[in-house]
Amino acid sequence: MLRWLLLQGLLMSYCVIYAQTPLFKLLPAGQTGIRFTNTISETEELNVLNYEYFYNGGGVAVGDVNGDGLEDLFFTANSGTCKLYINLGGLKFKDVTKEAGVEGRSGGWKTGVTMADVNGDGLLDIYLCYSGRNQALRGNQLYINEGNGHFKEQAAAYGLDDAGYCTQAAFFDYDHDGDLDCFLLRHSVKKVDNMELAKARTEADPLSGDRLFENQNGHFVEVSQKAGIRQSALTYGLGIAVADINKDGWPDIYVTNDYNEPDYLYINNKNGTFSDMAEKSFRYLPQFSMGVDIADINNDGLPDVMNLDMLPEDNRRQKLLQLQENYESFTLMTSQGLQRQYMRNMLQLNNGDGTFSEIGQMAGVSATDWSWSPLLADFDNDGYKDLFITNGYLRDYTNKDFLRYWGDYKIRKAMDREPVKLMDLVQAMPSTALKKYIYKNNGDLTFSNKQGSWGIDQPAVSSGAVYADLDNDGDLDLVVNNINSPAFVYENTGAGNSWLQLKLKGKGANSFAVGSKAYVYSKGSAQYEELNPARGYLSCQSTVLHFGLGQEKTIDSVVVIWPDQVRQKLTGVAVNQRMSVTEEGGAKEGPQPAPGRTVFIRTQAPITYKQEGFGDNDFKRQLLMLFMYSRSGPVMATADVNKDGKEDVFISGDKNRPGAVYYQQVGGQFATPGPAIVHEDSSTAGAVAFFDANGDGWPDLYVAKGGYSMWEPHTSALQDELFLNDGKGALYPAAGMLPDLSASSKGCVKPCDFDGDGDVDLFVGGRVVPGQYPTAPTSYLLVNDGKGHFTIAKTPFDQIGMVTDAQWMDLDGDGRKDLILCGEFMPVMAFLNTKTGWVDKTADYFGQPSSGFWNVLALADVDGDGKQDIIAGNLGLNTRFQVSGKEPAELYYADFDHNGSIDPFFNFYVQGVSYPFVSRDELNEQIYPMRKKFGSYKDYSTATMGNIFTKEELDKAGKLTATEARSVVWLNKGGRFQRVELPLPAQFSMVCKIATGDFDRDGKTDLLLLGNHSDNRLKMGSMDANYGCLLKGDGKGGFSYVSQPVSGLSVLGDVKSAAELTIGGQKYLVIGVAEGELQFYKEN
Amino acid sequence: MRWLFVFLVFITLTVRGQVQEKVLTDYLRPAVFSITMVMVHDVVNPPAASRYYTYIMLGAYDIVARHNPTLVKPGVLVRKFPETTADGANYDYRVAAIWSILETGRLMLPSGYRLEEEQKKFMQLLKKQKIPQAVIDKSLAAGKEATTRVINFSKGDNYGLLSARRRYNPLRKDSTWYPTPPAYIEAVEPNWRIIRPVLIDSCDQFPPQPLARFSTDTTSAFYALAKEVYIVSKDTGAKSMYERTIAGFWDCNPFAVTTSGHMMIGLKKISPGGHWMDITGIAAGVTRLDFDHTVLAQTLVAATLMDAFICCWDEKYKSNRIRPESYINRYIDPKWTPYLQTPPFPEYTSGHSVISTAAAEVLTYLFGPKLDYRDNSEELFDITPRTFHSFREAAEEAAISRLYGGIHYRDGVVNGQIMGRAIGEYIVKKLKSVGVNKLR
Repeated sequence: MLRWLLLQGLLMSYCVIYAQTPLFKLLPAGQTGIRFTNTISETEELNVLNYEYFYNGGGVAVGDVNGDGLEDLFFTANSGTCKLYINLGGLKFKDVTKEAGVEGRSGGWKTGVTMADVNGDGLLDIYLCYSGRNQALRGNQLYINEGNGHFKEQAAAYGLDDAGYCTQAAFFDYDHDGDLDCFLLRHSVKKVDNMELAKARTEADPLSGDRLFENQNGHFVEVSQKAGIRQSALTYGLGIAVADINKDGWPDIYVTNDYNEPDYLYINNKNGTFSDMAEKSFRYLPQFSMGVDIADINNDGLPDVMNLDMLPEDNRRQKLLQLQENYESFTLMTSQGLQRQYMRNMLQLNNGDGTFSEIGQMAGVSATDWSWSPLLADFDNDGYKDLFITNGYLRDYTNKDFLRYWGDYKIRKAMDREPVKLMDLVQAMPSTALKKYIYKNNGDLTFSNKQGSWGIDQPAVSSGAVYADLDNDGDLDLVVNNINSPAFVYENTGAGNSWLQLKLKGKGANSFAVGSKAYVYSKGSAQYEELNPARGYLSCQSTVLHFGLGQEKTIDSVVVIWPDQVRQKLTGVAVNQRMSVTEEGGAKEGPQPAPGRTVFIRTQAPITYKQEGFGDNDFKRQLLMLFMYSRSGPVMATADVNKDGKEDVFISGDKNRPGAVYYQQVGGQFATPGPAIVHEDSSTAGAVAFFDANGDGWPDLYVAKGGYSMWEPHTSALQDELFLNDGKGALYPAAGMLPDLSASSKGCVKPCDFDGDGDVDLFVGGRVVPGQYPTAPTSYLLVNDGKGHFTIAKTPFDQIGMVTDAQWMDLDGDGRKDLILCGEFMPVMAFLNTKTGWVDKTADYFGQPSSGFWNVLALADVDGDGKQDIIAGNLGLNTRFQVSGKEPAELYYADFDHNGSIDPFFNFYVQGVSYPFVSRDELNEQIYPMRKKFGSYKDYSTATMGNIFTKEELDKAGKLTATEARSVVWLNKGGRFQRVELPLPAQFSMVCKIATGDFDRDGKTDLLLLGNHSDNRLKMGSMDANYGCLLKGDGKGGFSYVSQPVSGLSVLGDVKSAAELTIGGQKYLVIGVAEGELQFYKEN
Repeated sequence: MRWLFVFLVFITLTVRGQVQEKVLTDYLRPAVFSITMVMVHDVVNPPAASRYYTYIMLGAYDIVARHNPTLVKPGVLVRKFPETTADGANYDYRVAAIWSILETGRLMLPSGYRLEEEQKKFMQLLKKQKIPQAVIDKSLAAGKEATTRVINFSKGDNYGLLSARRRYNPLRKDSTWYPTPPAYIEAVEPNWRIIRPVLIDSCDQFPPQPLARFSTDTTSAFYALAKEVYIVSKDTGAKSMYERTIAGFWDCNPFAVTTSGHMMIGLKKISPGGHWMDITGIAAGVTRLDFDHTVLAQTLVAATLMDAFICCWDEKYKSNRIRPESYINRYIDPKWTPYLQTPPFPEYTSGHSVISTAAAEVLTYLFGPKLDYRDNSEELFDITPRTFHSFREAAEEAAISRLYGGIHYRDGVVNGQIMGRAIGEYIVKKLKSVGVNKLR
């Protein structure tokens, strides 16, 4: 017993010590011998105001240049001397720059560096890029490794002495001819603000467009134009990464671009040409894209893309630096064929079907300030790739106070009769050194910030970086190039986990086997890496592949796919070793097997309908809302309207056509002979339902009016309409059947004979009051007199909140249907339909109310207990604001300035404090007197609601909260519901429609979640990472995500409606999206 | 001897009085300019600037008119202006009037606190003039009282309702205005028509001539108008120098944005209204106008500017016409940029043409058709002073400068002038009818 206690004590103290020792240790220059600083001196003649690439920093390349088995390092200095350090072992390095002859051109502006065996002699050469205003000092350099410690500059001889504005080069074998070709990333030096000029994207610019060089017998020949590489003066290349994105065996290229120019994803066409597939693959991109890395973050064998932007993490810097939203320039950008772009880091998860889901916010990696280099690698050897990010900019030159300062400065100088000095301005820009970011991959698509506990917390202005095992101890160390401070060398002190390193030796000229892939299989898990060293930012990673293996002691097998596609399988590989693998002959890797039977099959739509909206911008009416409400269509409902045995469908109209019933014809065609049902230019169909209103046995149609931007409450535009069936299948508008229902814009219609009198009554949910968000709209319970005349019944839920959806179910088994409803900034609620009236029993059924952004409710028995369970669609986790009971989102609203408009203030927690989402510009626009209250962005940058308004004002204001953003299932346990959270892929986006059924025919109920919402505040960006999330039920209430290639779903757009429709005996899923075509999927 | 003493005292007092009168009169132009500088700091847009000028002057004029029975009462000129007959004694109404200018600016402008420094400077000036503290105190109180009244009056002009109105959502038709490079700034004050005018009856009282019909046909009148802007921009040599001098002189863009990479720099200037307020100050100086009539002139010009902006802004969002920059980029030369930065609101009619012409009409009535003056109002903004011989000459130049600058078509300029003249003539007629006489 005593021994046991002692052991416990020892273990505990071991754990404590372990927890206190950070994973990384910053090594002093005195120890490493690396005394490198990228020194930038600002002068009146040379500074960021006359050369904007001044603070973009330098790179690092790592590789074994002398073949001694130790990784050597090369640093670029922008204006100083570059340095080559030979690794002496034991984390000691020797500066051999001079002997090696690789200082770089004196006075030239050095940028990116790449190590590669360019001439195929088995030795790593060094390729150094140049930019800068002075043409005479540009011209890239190729240092050929002579194997004797000396390098010889031979760029001209190889055809690689490009004298444009270069960022970095990547060497790779794009044409599979066995030698290394070169992609040269370049950048424009003149910012173009006129977006009409996007037309000029096809024009080639000799100095700034990117270039592709084909290696033809040792000479590099420029083939950009022919290969389909974009070369316009609008390119601002900052990052490059090569990877086989689509896993077809051929290397593809990812290029990031600063400013309005979108990133490029060049998919290799296998014939010497590339096609930019960025727009097809990604729903949106970072606006100011910086560095990029590509690696498999979830071990599904697919390369994912991480690229960086400039969004700060903390509220203060966000308020100081974030650009003002500009819907006009955003719209212009997209209308000019430039993709949607938002300012934040992005993690694009490869879905394996040519699409990507951007999940950076859910993953927790979207805001790392002005960031340069992302590096995905397994730093803690637990089997998942972690993320390291460098950041920093010498001057905060997007500071919004500074923008105004400049004008005042000029005037003051003029008054004082002094000349304007650029250096005064440069020095007036605040300088902020930032901490780097390091995130641990949690293995579930999320990351945890480990800045503190992993010891990466030294502030600096950092640029390029590499990871490599510098001391050959089985873990990855980090090296960072800093501006005006010594380079960081972080020793990884981790221990305890297994690892494997692969050093590949290729055949022929591609001696380092660039482009190879390796899979490491261990106990049912697989890891995947590609050997493409030029990644991150201005930098080049090691050619040694590194895998962390956690607690595994054995490896089942290692598979290497060589650049020529030869597949080599290794077994009996021991852990904890650096293993050299030499290419042997063998069978070539065949094409990836096509997935077997998919659950759904996309089919040709029998109804041609592309929804087109009116270009509403709801934020022009209420600036401070989060989402737009105008786009609610197309809405759909199905019924056999003419009782011919074939299902018909009502589809609401759009800008170009009114709503109509589409009658199914013999042969599966559809026709619309009927009358126009709601012209969308005079009102908006917000929700529809077929039901028998007058008891004649024929389906009638109720159209609830929705919309926001164009309609006023209490006008005919918001009056619902009833269309009765003439008994022959034709619908006609029935006048005088409905009371005045025009108080609000509605979100749902739910028919039900709630009073058990034999006719069908209706619940109509009020969604929003146009112009008065978020005041509670009116919801209506409409009682049918049996002949289709409806009257409004008074209920406790007629002003309950912004209702989005409702379901009728008998909760208490008294034979009367009760009402479940949900909404925005509302919990899911239960109202019991008792003989004496409606009783709110939410707390009884749902426990602690979960107020959220609920959009949809579905009922199905998912656990096979014979009781209906509830599936509820919410906002999801992939947003800028994470909410919880402890840190809720709060929405205060009142007419604070007494001018007749509701001022809604949305607040959410950032680093433990609840701050308003509203920027200073927006605040000043909404409430003019605030211009006096906060005189500068700095003044406002720390303001909370308590600083903006008085306590009395806040006490009088309305307040709504949200504590739950996840989509969930509530299992019906009889008398109460038990909450089960849906898996993370279900939380990628807003869920707006839910279909239930046994889609995979295994006898268990599955869920299909559809959604997305793109018309949000630009600061939030589009939510569209859901391509149709199929969740396979286990019959017990548990669900697992079915990948897109297996589900067969690739639903694009904001889903507004979904219906199952049987056409010719075959079941189809019909999906209506805003601004898109109807999408038909056959249930396979 | 005693008699002599009395005489000497009298002379001293009279001289001191005259000196004081001159010092205080001379101070009016810098007082208004200090308001202008705060507006420059705050980047107040042109219509909003004209509104501030009106209220800072109305309080001052209210005080002056109470003390000078020959002046028309503000209530006669301005509907529902809350006059008061109550008045304290033993204060200097000129000090009170100036204080009202500074104090109204301090309370109304977003960065009004910046005027506190100017107020201190003014206090020192008063002390240097040996004005007794008791008089200063009472004058300041009177100035504050007028300020309170004018601010209350301003609250009824619907300005506070603007933020409750729908903002402008571009129509995205070929013919309509869309925000322009480089910053694509949102439409400025799309609802300005709801602001209560000062001297005129309504925003649509002076509808302009119909504008040239939009067309992309290269033989159309509209294409020709755009082509003219384009061709003028290609002028070379002395002609170009002349045109650019004039364009720059009348640029008056409160916030031109230039970008350099991620950085945006705001280049600031005074607004068109600020320019004419300063011209009024210059004219008063040149003609050695007394204190009371200087305040009168400044008030009337401010009110004229405010009304002219209201009319012009009503038309701008009614006609909603595309700017030359957008049209030329789309149909003539995608790489073209105008010499001046295109301001963020629709083209028709040219605001500078309307307000300059209207202001010049009122100034011409007050000061006469011929007056030589040197306009140095934007010297601080690196703009070389220019000499003019009449206000109409200046207004003519201000109007055509917008064509030279590449931001307006000729019909926007010419029809803007016609509109401005109608506004000016209407106001002059009103002045005559209520007994505001020519100043010389």
